[in-house]
Amino acid sequence: MNPENKITQSQKLMVFVLSMSLYGLATLFTELIPSFQVGIVEFSVEYFLFIPLTLAMLFDPLSAGLGAATGELVFSEIMLGQFGGLGELEKFLTVTIGVYIAGRLAKNPLNRAVVAGAAILGVIVQQFMGCVVDILKVQFAVEEFEAVPGLPESVFFTEGFAFLNDVLFSGILFCMLPTLFLVPKLYGKIEPLLGMKPRNAENMSASPIPVKGVVLSIVGFAAAIAAELLASGGYELIDWEAAWAESSSAIIVAIIVAAVIALITIGVIRSKAASSKETV
Amino acid sequence: MNIIEIRDLTFTYPGASSPTLKHLTADIEKGDFLAVVGNNGCGKSTLCKTINGLIPHFIAGDMTGEVLVDGMNTKEQEIGTLAKKAGYVYQDFENQIVCPTVLEDASYACLNYAMEDYEAKGKEALKVCGLESKTDDYVWQLSGGQKHLLALAGTTALSPDILILDEPIAQLDPAHADGIYEVLRELNETFGKTIIVIEHHTEYITKYCKNVLLIKDGAAQWKLPAKEAMRRTEELRKCNIFPPQVAVAAERLKKEGLLSLEERLPVDIGEGVGIFAPILRKKGAVKRYTQQMAAERELTAGFENVTVTYRAVKGEPPKIFDGFSLKIGKGEKIALIGSNGAGKSTMLKLLMGLIRPEEGRVLLNGVPAADIPKEEMGRTISMVYQNPEEMFIKDSIRRDIEYAMQVRKTENYEKRTEELLEMFRLTELADRDGRLLSGGQMRRASLAVGIALNPEILLLDEPTANLDIATRREIMKTLQMLKGVTDTVVIATHDMQLVCDWAERIIVLSSGYVIADGPKEDIFADMYVRRQVGIRPPQIYDMARELGIEDSCFTIDDFTEYFRGEKYA
Amino acid sequence: MILRNISGVKNMRKLTENILDKFSIDYLRNQVLKNAYGNDDTVIAGLDPRVLLVWYLFFGLVPWFLNDVVFLLGLFLFVVMTTKAARIAPLVLFLFCLGVFSQTGYLFIAALFFGGSLDTAAPLLVMTLKVAIVSLASITVFSGLNPDRLANGMLWFGCPGQLSFSISFAYRILPVLMEEFQNILLSYRLRGCPPKKEGFIGKIRYLGYQVKMIIQSFYPLMLNTAKRSRTTVEALELRGYRYSIQNPAVRRMKLSMLKITRADLMFIGISAVWVCADLLLSVLISR
Repeated sequence: MNPENKITQSQKLMVFVLSMSLYGLATLFTELIPSFQVGIVEFSVEYFLFIPLTLAMLFDPLSAGLGAATGELVFSEIMLGQFGGLGELEKFLTVTIGVYIAGRLAKNPLNRAVVAGAAILGVIVQQFMGCVVDILKVQFAVEEFEAVPGLPESVFFTEGFAFLNDVLFSGILFCMLPTLFLVPKLYGKIEPLLGMKPRNAENMSASPIPVKGVVLSIVGFAAAIAAELLASGGYELIDWEAAWAESSSAIIVAIIVAAVIALITIGVIRSKAASSKETV
Repeated sequence: MNIIEIRDLTFTYPGASSPTLKHLTADIEKGDFLAVVGNNGCGKSTLCKTINGLIPHFIAGDMTGEVLVDGMNTKEQEIGTLAKKAGYVYQDFENQIVCPTVLEDASYACLNYAMEDYEAKGKEALKVCGLESKTDDYVWQLSGGQKHLLALAGTTALSPDILILDEPIAQLDPAHADGIYEVLRELNETFGKTIIVIEHHTEYITKYCKNVLLIKDGAAQWKLPAKEAMRRTEELRKCNIFPPQVAVAAERLKKEGLLSLEERLPVDIGEGVGIFAPILRKKGAVKRYTQQMAAERELTAGFENVTVTYRAVKGEPPKIFDGFSLKIGKGEKIALIGSNGAGKSTMLKLLMGLIRPEEGRVLLNGVPAADIPKEEMGRTISMVYQNPEEMFIKDSIRRDIEYAMQVRKTENYEKRTEELLEMFRLTELADRDGRLLSGGQMRRASLAVGIALNPEILLLDEPTANLDIATRREIMKTLQMLKGVTDTVVIATHDMQLVCDWAERIIVLSSGYVIADGPKEDIFADMYVRRQVGIRPPQIYDMARELGIEDSCFTIDDFTEYFRGEKYA
Repeated sequence: MILRNISGVKNMRKLTENILDKFSIDYLRNQVLKNAYGNDDTVIAGLDPRVLLVWYLFFGLVPWFLNDVVFLLGLFLFVVMTTKAARIAPLVLFLFCLGVFSQTGYLFIAALFFGGSLDTAAPLLVMTLKVAIVSLASITVFSGLNPDRLANGMLWFGCPGQLSFSISFAYRILPVLMEEFQNILLSYRLRGCPPKKEGFIGKIRYLGYQVKMIIQSFYPLMLNTAKRSRTTVEALELRGYRYSIQNPAVRRMKLSMLKITRADLMFIGISAVWVCADLLLSVLISR
């Protein structure tokens, strides 16, 4: 029996539930205002990131990050029937990592400079990863991407612009400022509602050194990048094959490859499921 | 045999300066139906959380002494083992329901504890709780009372020997409240469960409970058989619990020498007849009532043939109102009553222009309510939500009160804010966040926010729900005070004491229709209406009727009048 | 039907007014719930979630690898039919169209500035087609299924139990949260005093005001939700949530309701036949 440990477990669950519900609700809204624009500045999901950022700075950052990512997945993707299947994995990872890093950095929630810096850094990390993934996606989906006139430039331009816009305009206006507004206001008020003590230098340093967290983010980031590289690698492979084969046979190869991948995936998962059943 | 033994229990919440429970010792017998009473913050809820192991397993803090449940020390048991022994239904039961459909939620715990027949267990529990017909419904389709039953079903599905309910009827109309208690009685008598309720409705305690445990300042004061306990009027009052009205009336008569001091105080109407009938002096009318009819008043709001339907997830959209018409005169003090789901909230929302009627019109001072811009509405009409937390949007109540005036650049708004704070006795709390106040303070603050713009019409949705009776009295006083401030007030409520003490006109709604409209004397005398909507006047009213008194008695003062003066011939 | 369309048009017109009036929360809540539970009786909803997930894996991956327009059109036609069979809520379809076309349209316009021509449009249209197939396939599967079945299907494929809890909890909490959010926003609207929205500057200020209001409303919402989630988590602990995550027997019981039926086999069969026929057609045309 270790009551101390258990308590932190259920408190983590509280933070998870809180972050999931609130960010989920917010993303549900932004999902419904898909192309709301003021001039060339777009207003979209990312800007509600202040919710998990705030929670991550007040409570356990990892729970807040995971909760936010799950919330977005469940509320705005699955509930609205917009679940992109595998593509959501990348969003899940980037949100978790961005929020986690920001929450980890803001050791003292009352220090405004630190809160602001951490918030904007979280946004930058999240946006940058998302931006890279987006570019790779178009590159992958369009046949002979480089050869299409104007397309590569336009993709890099729009993505690059979106990144800068997101960070400099929306990141500051809708992420950093609301976080700055909310964190000090909520500090000391929201913690007792969850039966916790406000974060301070002592209980932050009392928690284990974030080695695990750092490793986790690095692994996560690597996974996201690897997934992308793998995807673009796969693209090149098929492209290369398509170059020497008739187009129709390329189709067949592609279909077979996809089917094999699908079958292997299922097989692996099944055997994993079966082995976990055996442990009953 | 004792199923629960509590020995010298002391518990301090983390960060608290003094312990909440102080050397509490108590035994609870198997098969008991126990009411735990005490004033707010005396440690009732904390005590109950020690029985199911939430304390010390999930809520950290300093705990000494021991709690034995069925012979097992809660400190040494897993929470799962304890959960199967003692089930807990929260006061805010809404948040206890975690699944989208009824059956899923009822069988959720059984599934989690890997019971193979989890669905059968869930169904069985739903049957016991009277939700059989709702098995496949979604939680959001249920009324408040049904949700409470579902929370109970979800708990009983694990078939724990002990059931603990924290204020089970605080938000319910009398019919639903009876429903809950009938289920509990069934669980107690037929299934042999030990039931523990935290309760301050003495009428229900007298009617259903076997024993009463009084907690005062974190320690057990006494445990007595329910009726015996209800006769300890003095001690109950000290703990902010209001003894049955018949007991209070008898006590008063004793003081005046009209009733022999030897007589035992009655606690229910049955006992009351035996005590009061012999000493009743008269039955006829004592005073005349004056009424002002609605027709004579200047019209301030009106419904003309309003039809409202709700969007349905599936099938035919349900009609809330069908050709609904009503007139509200200037300066009226209206109580809107009816069971959960009768259309009270919809009516208030129509008045606020939040719902646009499909047919017909809702007029405010002659203008369709839905056409008035929300921002301009504040000076005409204002609504205080049932859940006061939703009224607070700023980080202190001072800023909440002044907000509406400040952005409208009202002159001297600081002064008016100070006045309002003073009037609602909030000056000392002015800089605290509304949400973090106690129930009564929160209500007062929400009322202050509601009338800040000095609206002509004030709508209140259940202003006394979820309050203990002492706080309820306090809010009632505040509402009386409001009579002089706001012109027209409409209150939607289940609280019949509030209706009796405050309302001048009562409108009874039942499934979207006005089935009665008039002064309280007429409404409560109409047995058909009473049965139809399950409204219940205060105990003293029924006592008087039982004795054959012709006029309506709404207060104990009205009642004792009949025992004074000339002996009735 | 016509009446419903008219009210739909009304709703659409409202969409343009401002952020808050864009949709009534009531409408949104209903759409979401309708989407989740309103079509339990469709062919798609009755299928085994595992079958649908594998089916999705195919239709979600294969189009990315293909560039044959005829074949893609054939797949597109098929997913349009499955989407129809799943009776998806109009709001979801509307969002889908908006999403697909705004994305590529945007790119095209940008490409024109970088020396793109109509030649740029063709590959982009093919890309749009791919995106459309993948999206419609996911709409069919993920909104055609009710969330519990979806959660069970994902659980079978090895997703952590927390996800299936999150899905079911989300449906429980959404109506509650929305109502609360609605009431808080209402408090702001009734008590606040927005700037006049005349002229361009006025509109911008009005917009800024509304955005600020939404952000500020998260302060009360966070505190209120924190209050709720404490009870929820305590109740979850009492109701054995943690045990269920650790206990494989619970997983097995949850999944025991999954059964492959004749309808599933037929669905797979029809899909396979369609894809083969489509493939044949595309080969014939390209010859």
